[in-house]
Amino acid sequence: MDKNKIGAVYFAILGAVTLAFGVVNLIVSAGGEDFTTGILNIPGDPFRGGWGGLIVLFAGIFYLLSIKNFDEIHQFGKAVMGSILLWIVAGMDIFAMITESIPGGEEGGWFNTLEGFLGTYAPPYPPAIFLLPFSLVVIYFIKKRR
Amino acid sequence: MTLTVDERWDLIEKISKETVTFGKYKHTLKDAIGELTVKPLTGIPIAIAVLYGFWSFFGSFAGFFTDGFFCKLFDEYWLPWLQDVFPGGLGNWFYAIMVDAGHMENGILVASDSCFESFGVLTSGVFLAIGVVLPAIVAFYLMLTFLEDIGYMPRLAVLIDTVLHKIGLHGYAIVPTILSLGCNVPAVTACRILETRKERFIMMTLLAIFIPCGAQLGVMQKVVPQYVGFILIFLAIGYFIAGFILHKIIPGKSPEILIDVPPYQMPMWRNVSMKMWMRLKHFFKTAIPFVLLGCVIVNVLYLTGFIDGLANVLAPVLTVWFGVPKETVAPLIAGFLRKDLAVAQLSTIEMTKYQMITSVVLISIYFPCLATFVMILKEGWKELLGSIAVLGVVTFLYGGLLHLIWILLGVA
Repeated sequence: MDKNKIGAVYFAILGAVTLAFGVVNLIVSAGGEDFTTGILNIPGDPFRGGWGGLIVLFAGIFYLLSIKNFDEIHQFGKAVMGSILLWIVAGMDIFAMITESIPGGEEGGWFNTLEGFLGTYAPPYPPAIFLLPFSLVVIYFIKKRR
Repeated sequence: MTLTVDERWDLIEKISKETVTFGKYKHTLKDAIGELTVKPLTGIPIAIAVLYGFWSFFGSFAGFFTDGFFCKLFDEYWLPWLQDVFPGGLGNWFYAIMVDAGHMENGILVASDSCFESFGVLTSGVFLAIGVVLPAIVAFYLMLTFLEDIGYMPRLAVLIDTVLHKIGLHGYAIVPTILSLGCNVPAVTACRILETRKERFIMMTLLAIFIPCGAQLGVMQKVVPQYVGFILIFLAIGYFIAGFILHKIIPGKSPEILIDVPPYQMPMWRNVSMKMWMRLKHFFKTAIPFVLLGCVIVNVLYLTGFIDGLANVLAPVLTVWFGVPKETVAPLIAGFLRKDLAVAQLSTIEMTKYQMITSVVLISIYFPCLATFVMILKEGWKELLGSIAVLGVVTFLYGGLLHLIWILLGVA
């Protein structure tokens, strides 16, 4: 199969999954409480759940809009933009984890203990972090175009 | 040697043939992404994501330094040390101004246990300026400089042009608007990029009234994090309503502009660091003296009984019209010097969630801080008087309207 066709199929699947995560995120945030199942945590607050969920939903739409005529540069740009949106949400989730993991907290010392530090990075994770590795595939297609 | 018009055109053609390469331009990925960011259908979701990233970075970065380290440093080490070594002690007026005014508990004057409560120049003043506001300002300017240097800001200007025309401005008004979220002072200067007097007046008035500065945002994020979203929504609604009304009643033109949109590019870290340094230098020069001075003036007014007297005089307006406690008069006075100082002061007053939202909105809109006041005066006294008249009316109506909303919702 042509690589562009593979790309279109890949981003169609990723787009559908991303869109579904976005919708679920918005529904959970409308309820106002976090939803955790296994290693997945869907935040229920208006900021990460509502606003962040809306961006994940937009990312899914961008992916789905890109699949028709995928090899055309403007269409491919939409897939890249979908990934950039996911990188913003996931990047900020990771940055928040890093900034939380270093200080010792109100009761602790200046810096966190090793257990506390590592514990911050333990699951559950929000949806954007699960989607992050799959969104990185777009880099392969960018390189291929060059 | 003088050339005729025809000779000049011949010369231009000759030079262009030798220097310009002609051919079919092939769109690159950067072009495609650039187009996506200016088309409303795709550009608006992208702008929403960029703002999310901006705000999220701001919160995490500022929280890391303020909650993670500075609160501990100032509350557990700096404040107790000063309480021990500073001459005078509780009840002494100089000690109250510089270190800790204390507070009454069961009729006994007791020492404060956090820098948010002590309100001394060396405690709250230094803590607010260095521990709370500085990390917020660094985070804000870092993100703003990054967005400017990659080439996103002109695209945002194009994207928002249609909306801003409804309030008598054009797309480039987004520059002073966003700059104002860092500090109102450079934002007033940035209003000069707007062509007409009408545009500049509308922009200066709106930013002085409705846009909280980075310092204020930082303190809001620290003391009332759960209400920041509501407060910003109320301010944004007010920005557009007041802008629309000003556009209708102020004579003058709001012309169209042509914006040169550069291609996206990687930021040069040397430029980023230089811009950051210039902006931070400005912050150190303008903000810190006002925070320290604000602490002195508010403490002196407290000690002389002026604030209690004024609170009693203004009590009917504050409690009946705005629905907030009469004690908010002290933060309102402090807000003239520094809004961040005023919000920090609000956090020590007991009130409901809705009173707190109204109070912070009032602090934001009732008057520009002294530094902004001086900058608007530099632009012209007529502009300053006009802005003051508008903000007087807006504060009274908007504050009353918020109170009315709470009454209708049955929460006031």
